[in-house]
This record gives sequence, structure tokens and C-alpha cells, in this order.
Amino acid sequence: MLRVENLVTAYGKIKALRGVTLEAREGEVTCLLGPNGAGKTTTMFSIAGILRPTSGDITLDGESLRGLGAARVVGKGVALVPENRLVFPQMTVSDNLHAGAFSRRDDRKRQRDMEKIYQRFPVLRERSRQPAGTLSGGEQQMLAIARALMARPRILLMDEPSIGLAPIIVAEIFRIIAEINREGVSILLVEQNARMALKFAHRLYLIQQGEITFSGTPDELGQDEVIQRSYLGG
Amino acid sequence: MDAYHVTVLSNIGMISLIALSAYLLLVCGEISFGQQAYFGIGAYISGIATAMWGWPLWSGMLAGGLIGASAAAFVGALTLRINGFYFSIATLAFAEMMRLLLYVFRYQVEIGGELVGPDGENGFHGIRWIFENDISTVEFMWIIYGVLASVVAGMMFMERSRLGRIFRMIGQDDMLARMQGVNVLLYKVLAALIAGFIAGVGGSLYAHSFTYIEPQFFNVMLGVHGLAYGLIGGLGVAFGPLVGVAIDIGFLEAIRWIQGYRMIAFGGLVAVMLIFWPRGIFDEKRWYSIRRCLRRMCGAETS
Repeated sequence: MLRVENLVTAYGKIKALRGVTLEAREGEVTCLLGPNGAGKTTTMFSIAGILRPTSGDITLDGESLRGLGAARVVGKGVALVPENRLVFPQMTVSDNLHAGAFSRRDDRKRQRDMEKIYQRFPVLRERSRQPAGTLSGGEQQMLAIARALMARPRILLMDEPSIGLAPIIVAEIFRIIAEINREGVSILLVEQNARMALKFAHRLYLIQQGEITFSGTPDELGQDEVIQRSYLGG
Repeated sequence: MDAYHVTVLSNIGMISLIALSAYLLLVCGEISFGQQAYFGIGAYISGIATAMWGWPLWSGMLAGGLIGASAAAFVGALTLRINGFYFSIATLAFAEMMRLLLYVFRYQVEIGGELVGPDGENGFHGIRWIFENDISTVEFMWIIYGVLASVVAGMMFMERSRLGRIFRMIGQDDMLARMQGVNVLLYKVLAALIAGFIAGVGGSLYAHSFTYIEPQFFNVMLGVHGLAYGLIGGLGVAFGPLVGVAIDIGFLEAIRWIQGYRMIAFGGLVAVMLIFWPRGIFDEKRWYSIRRCLRRMCGAETS
């Protein structure tokens, strides 16, 4: 459903992406693995419309997203859970969730979605009136995912959801991601945690220095090789 | 109440409007050093409207507010695309340009054998609406506070609305706001427009309270004070800037022996605040705890 073709994105003169081509298929978890500085976040930001690619194309079911700008890309059903800047810290948890539904106008459905989200994340209901900045790292990650879901995305882009979290919470986050995926939301995941990614991804891309160096299913590549190639290069 | 106190209180009320104007942009994460321009525009436009065209105060005030709002939206649309830093500089440049233009702005008509209207560096005499309508300074003070109360009420209502949430989202993280589908530039220009309107209305009151205005009133210090009031009083809620004004004019003005050192005390206060409470006395956190306390006291369950 989401196709990225020959994408080139540059910061000034430095090309961070040198012709990235990848596809996230409907209903699947697609994982983009690679070392630091390989261009993973740049790819995500380019898709989400935060960065302007120099060339190449991004399409969602054949419709081009390139150059639309972040605000309109969300409206098309592509929601991004960014790395590190997760929540609006001084706004309450419930206001953060409302913020996610900004692009929607259907008030009643929104209320129902909110209820569903509180059922999935009971901890957010408990803390609904607290400023989001007072939540723990794991809770903030959950809030960020929940907020993205409020936009009713068709595809969810997640930038390193496991970063900086304790293993037990990482497991919980991935359980939630798998659950969301089973409910029909396609997922494009950027990870450094290769072990977790291999367990959940249907399709795998390795990115190195702005180029895709492998694409296929996790089975085509042994775990050791993925780890070796995504961390050590080669 | 003697004349001195009426003047001080009237000043607090009018300056509060420029503080609220700067506050709204601060909430959106933008620092404007130029709100005095719209204050000045409001003062001149409304003065011209009442003294020269014979309009009633309300229409003059509305005109001052609207022209101030349009000017602010125009400047905002040009400058809010650029990063925060440059926006601040651009607003300062525009305000200074405005002020210098007022020095050469001459537009006078003869009314009752006397020339009335802006006369460049000699200022604008004879904005006599309050004398002509037999309104005492005390009564005018109540008009000022009536306007101020409506603006504060309007802003507090806005802060609880969708629009207010959007402004706060943009102020906290404009990139994250964009990721939620917010057209950041559009809403920033809207904030500038509302802020320009509030400043314009404040300026209108100012012109009619003093009956005489000159370009020098609308210099950068007015804008800097407006900004500082929000930063002292707090950015969590719309009455924060009013607390800032009350502290500066009410408290520092009241202490007679401090008079000569007032600016030093004020500068020191701003510096201390920025170190310890960078978002003011009533910042988001404190306002949040206050609201929680109030809710507990009332026992009400509202969402």
C-alpha cells in the first residue's frame, strides 16, 4: 500500500538517502533495520512530510504523498510515532489524545475511539488528567502510540519504539504493536533492536548509508546475519 | 479613590491588554518584540475615528482593533514562516518602522477653529471623546476594566477550546503539532491576528484615556514590558500576564523609594524569574495543580 521509490533526501549538500526503495504491504509489519546514521529516521520523516525529498516518489495506494506537507499526510491516513519527542509534556494525557484526532471532525466516533484506547491502555485512563510529561518513559511511548491511533491511521510509522525502555516494557510495547497490526493497521517500523524486529516483522529491509542493502522476509536471512549486517555493515 | 490611584489602576488595565497580546504569542512559542506597534496603530486609528470623524468610542475601538489585527496578520504571514529568532527581530523591526512612520505622519482637519489630528513628532492632540461625553476618569477606568474582563474571559474560554489546545500544541512542539495534522503557519497567523486585535483595542483605550498620544509612547520598551509581564505572571493561564502587570506597576510603582531604581528592580525580577520559574508564576504546572485543588474542593467531576 505504501511505496517509496528511489527516494533521495538531502540535508544541505549531504545526501542522507541515496535512492531508497521500499514497500509496506497492507496488513503487514514491515521493518527497516540499520545502524545509527543509516537514514532510518530520515526515511520516516520524508514519508511523513516533515522533510522534503529532493527526488523520488512516495505513494499510498497509488496516490502521491510527496510534497503534501506533514499536516495533510496525516489526513491521508499515515500517522508517525516519532522517536524521543513523544508527547506534549505540559498537556494532560487526555488532551494529548485529543490532539491525535485533530485531523478528524467526527466527534462522536472520536469519543468511542477514546474509550477503546482507554480499554487497551488502562494506565492512560488512570492518568488521563495528569500532564503527559509526568508519565514514565514506557507510558509516554504508549501515549504516543495511542495518540497516533486516534488519527485512525491506515498505516502507522513507528520510529524506534523500543529505545531507552526496559526489556519488559519493550516486550509489552511489541505485544501492543502486534495487536494493532492484527486489527488491520499496517505498520512500518524502524528498529535497532533486531531480535524484536525479526520476531514481529513480515518483511524486512536493511538500510546502510542511505541505501537499501537487503529486502526480503526474515526467514531469508538468519538472525545472526541480520544482526551482523545491520550493526557491523557488510 | 484619588486621581493618582485612578491613573495607576487605569494604566494597569490598559497595559494588561498589551501583556495579553504578547502572552498569546508566547503561548504559541513565539516571542514578539513588536506588539507596541499594534497598540500604537489602535491608538492612532481610534483617535482619528473619534476626534476627527466623530465616531463613537465603540466603533473607534473596533476599528483600532481590526486595523491592528490586520497589520499583525500581515506581518505574521510574512515573518512566521521563519524561525523563532528571526520572527522576534522582524517584529521589532516592523514596530520601529511603524514608530518612525508616525513621526512623519500628518493628517489634520480643522474642527471648531482648531487643527486636530496626528501632527508627526508633535503628536496627536485633542482626542476629547471622554470630555465631550462627560465621562469621568473613574468611569473610564471602569470601561477599561470592562473591556479587560471581557478579553480575559474570552481568552480563558478560548484556552479550553480546540483552538486553545492547538495554540498550546504549537507552543510546546510545533513539529509534533504538524505531525498531528495542524497547519502550524495558519494557526500562528491566527494567533498573531487575535493578538493584534487585543493590542489595538488596548491602544484605543490608551489614546482616549490620555487624550494625547505621540509616537514615542509606542517605543520598544512598551513591547518589552508587555512580554515580560507574561514571563513573570505565567504562561499557564490568561490571568498570568495580569499578575505580572500588577507586580510591576502595582507593586513597584507603589514603593515610592524604589522609583529611581524601578527599571533595575524590574530587570532583576525578570532575570530571577527566568532562572527559577522560566514560564512564570502561574505556569502550566502550577495552574494544573490549582485546577486540581479547585476540583477537589468543589468535588465536581468534569472532564
